[in-house]
Amino acid sequence: MTANAAPGAPPRRLLDPVFVSKLARIDLRARFVVEGFLTGLHRSPYHGFSVEFAEHRQYMPGDPLRHLDWKVLAKSDRKYLKQYQEETNLRAMLLVDTSASMGYASGGLSKLDYARSLAAALAYLMINQHDAVGLFAFAGGQGELIPPRASSAQLRQILLALERLTPGGTTDFAGSLHRVAEHSTRRGLVILLSDLLDDPARIESAVRHFRHRKHEVLVFHVLDPQERRFDFEREATYIDLETGERVTTRSQDLREDYRARVRAWSERLRELCIARRADYVAVGSDTPYDRALLEYLEKRARLY
Amino acid sequence: MPAISFLNAGLLWALPAVAVPLLIHFLSRRRLPEVPFPTVQFLRALEPREIRRIRLRELLLLLLRTLAVLLLVLAFARPSLEPRGAVIHAAAAVGILLDDSESMGALDEQARPRMEEARGRARAIVEEARPGDETLLAASTEPDAVTAARGSDHVRAARWVDQQAARPLPARMAQALERLRRDLGQSRLKARELYVISDFQRSNWDPAAVRELHAAAEAGTRVTLLPVVESRVANHGFTGADPELKPGPEGRGLELRARIENYADAPTERLAVRARLGETLVGAGDVSLKPQESRWVSLSIESRPAAEGGDGRAPVILEADRDALPADDRWYALLGTPERVRVLRVAESRGGTPPPRYVPLALDPAGDRSSGFEVEDAGPGALSSLAPSRADVVILEDLASLSADAEERVRAFHRAGGGVVILLGPHADPQYYTSRLLPGLIDLALDGVERAPAGSVFELRARLPGHPILEGLTVSVGGPLSQARLTQIMRGRVLSGRAQTVVSTAGGLPVVVAAPGVSVLLGSFAEEWGDLAFSGAFVPLARGIVQSAAHAAGAAEEAHPYVGARPMARLAQPPAVALSVRGPEEYRSQASVEAEGAGFRAVADAPARAPGIYEFRAGEREIAAVAVNVDPLESDLAPEPLDSLRARGREEIAVLAGPSVLAAHLRDTRRGRELASAFLVAVGILLLGELALGSARVLRP
Repeated sequence: MTANAAPGAPPRRLLDPVFVSKLARIDLRARFVVEGFLTGLHRSPYHGFSVEFAEHRQYMPGDPLRHLDWKVLAKSDRKYLKQYQEETNLRAMLLVDTSASMGYASGGLSKLDYARSLAAALAYLMINQHDAVGLFAFAGGQGELIPPRASSAQLRQILLALERLTPGGTTDFAGSLHRVAEHSTRRGLVILLSDLLDDPARIESAVRHFRHRKHEVLVFHVLDPQERRFDFEREATYIDLETGERVTTRSQDLREDYRARVRAWSERLRELCIARRADYVAVGSDTPYDRALLEYLEKRARLY
Repeated sequence: MPAISFLNAGLLWALPAVAVPLLIHFLSRRRLPEVPFPTVQFLRALEPREIRRIRLRELLLLLLRTLAVLLLVLAFARPSLEPRGAVIHAAAAVGILLDDSESMGALDEQARPRMEEARGRARAIVEEARPGDETLLAASTEPDAVTAARGSDHVRAARWVDQQAARPLPARMAQALERLRRDLGQSRLKARELYVISDFQRSNWDPAAVRELHAAAEAGTRVTLLPVVESRVANHGFTGADPELKPGPEGRGLELRARIENYADAPTERLAVRARLGETLVGAGDVSLKPQESRWVSLSIESRPAAEGGDGRAPVILEADRDALPADDRWYALLGTPERVRVLRVAESRGGTPPPRYVPLALDPAGDRSSGFEVEDAGPGALSSLAPSRADVVILEDLASLSADAEERVRAFHRAGGGVVILLGPHADPQYYTSRLLPGLIDLALDGVERAPAGSVFELRARLPGHPILEGLTVSVGGPLSQARLTQIMRGRVLSGRAQTVVSTAGGLPVVVAAPGVSVLLGSFAEEWGDLAFSGAFVPLARGIVQSAAHAAGAAEEAHPYVGARPMARLAQPPAVALSVRGPEEYRSQASVEAEGAGFRAVADAPARAPGIYEFRAGEREIAAVAVNVDPLESDLAPEPLDSLRARGREEIAVLAGPSVLAAHLRDTRRGRELASAFLVAVGILLLGELALGSARVLRP
């Protein structure tokens, strides 16, 4: 599925992380991403449309004809689509990792930037669908919690919180996520955006905790492309962003082994999630946002 | 143990450059970029396993780069390996003997001019001279003209080399070597080298020349022989011409005879021979020669060529097809002036009966010297005044023995270049000849008289058909010599290879034996011993015997003057005014006149420099002329085996064949064996190794 498959569809670059990151305001980013995404979903089964009429929208080439308001067409000879408001009881919680390692950027867009934009888009989408959404940005066992609500004010609050996020501290799933899990009494959807640089056992423990609380869990494993490729070409001293540990080596000597280890680690995380019936989606900070949004919609469709 | 030295030692100051890779290595280690990274947990796990390998490689890279820089600096300093025994860095006195004799005008096996090759070798030596070296240059035909050049004066030495050309003269190796050895010995430099560049013709290397060569080596001079040819090259050439025109076959026209020799071990093609009078062709003929054959070739001439001088002589030029040595493919002759051989025939009357005059009649039948022989009959007493000024050849005919004084006179005459013909006979005392006269003249012993068995005779057979004694006869090896028969002969034994049996009996007993300047007839022309004097072979055989002795001795040299000798002419009357001589190539000389026998002879003051006709003039009037030719001494183009020149115990006489071998020798002895290229190759290999080992170090922009 491509954005330019239909005439009038917004350009694909609206879903390109780098392009989106150039927009200063995060609310604009969220809107661009979501609208660009939804417009491109003209043949998708994920309409997100309910039975209750909400408003009209001008017909765009490629839109399905079944939502065309024939009466308006007959009266005014203008093509409008009927849009419906969906009723839902989804409560989603966006967990955004703000540890220091999330600040890494090999190509201008850090993992945190990516996660922030993705979280904003998800929040925008959810609020527009009248889902309740909350935010928990965490690092080093600390975090800022915004409980889920479905109001447009909630969206503003979430977007403001996301905009303020800065990387720092260590990834601590045990401390942060367990605390969130304790406070989330009503079952819902937990969306975790993190580089998961923690002990896998601790990650599993946190996921298990959410699952124990009957939450659905969707894990976006955000990695910088360079973290997968390790494509440096000269000897250097590598400094761990979280621990400050230093390792001096030549990437070309270790590259193959490194990649194998990262693949094995990702695979282990994926299996760990599957084992706990959580969804695991590996994304790079250069992955277009529609991939993540689709994953979310699929998940939501399975839930409701 | 070979030592390494540097020809550009001044560049060794750059050796500290080997520290550059070390500095770069350590500086780059200190200035490693710091790269923030989300986590190093995966690197940390790998590091211990890799770190040893990386460090080892770092060390190897450092070693390769340091070695590469070191070798690069050393290569520019031009290292050289001094071979054992080489004299490097010590200035040397270098003698170069360049053979410029006639044979050097020939082509080598690859049809390249020998002289060009020789000049190339000499130039190579001269160009390798170092400052401080002394170079002495000498040519083999002019041993006394030694040119000296300082080591740095390459131009002077090179100019001398470039000016050398093959000259129509035989080499004077012994004199040239002696002069160079002496001059080298006077040098204050201890290291001395002598290079002999030559085609090493056998004729040039007489025992005296070999002795000089060895003397130079024994004096501590490093002697190196540089042959420009390795093997014999086929050649033919003129060796003479008969100035007397003979009646042509069947009485038609005239016949000019030229003697031509094939020096090769293979037969010649059919050779065309032409005679020119100026630019006009006056005669032509052709001939095919067997291997090593020398024979007369007849050129048909319609009429006698118009003479130039007032004496009826006509200068003609004989030309044969050109081959390896062009100098001997041309011969100058003066027609109408037959060789005049002055013969003193000594015989004794017995019982008041004068000796038979068969021999004088055979030599000069008309008594007018027109046959080329001037015969004086005399008794044994004439031997007391025997001298080259009186005769060219002395014939001792049927003499029982000689007085001690006469015997000594004969020996002195022979030593002075006179020819000796001994005609034995019924009265000769074999014991006297064997014990007294023959030793020193010819290696022949007589054992008494051998009589033919009753009812039979000795028939004569030719043994050496190409020999000058037989040149008037048409014979083959072992073929009968006309119908000549003898009833008795002197039984003789040839004692060494220096004497040759030219004619023998059918049973193998020698009848005519020849040695240089001496001919012996063991039979007799007298009637007591057979009918030889009445056979068809008699006249040519008698003339051949006398002619051979005359030619082989010094007498022939005056009849055939060669380039390098002073032109000489015989005169009947002494000139009234001073004589001058004119010759080719602007030759001008005065001539002195001296009495000779009944006549006079004029000898030019300056030696002839080129072949051609030399005119003797009294004022503006030409009174005599002589044809001067190139000495065919070197025409055989047979090189002396070089092992025979160097085989002398401890002496170090090296032989270097080929210019590349010489170049390597000069490089070794002057500069040592240069290692720069090997070092550069090693640098290349090291850099390739560095590239392979550190290929991933290319930085991405």
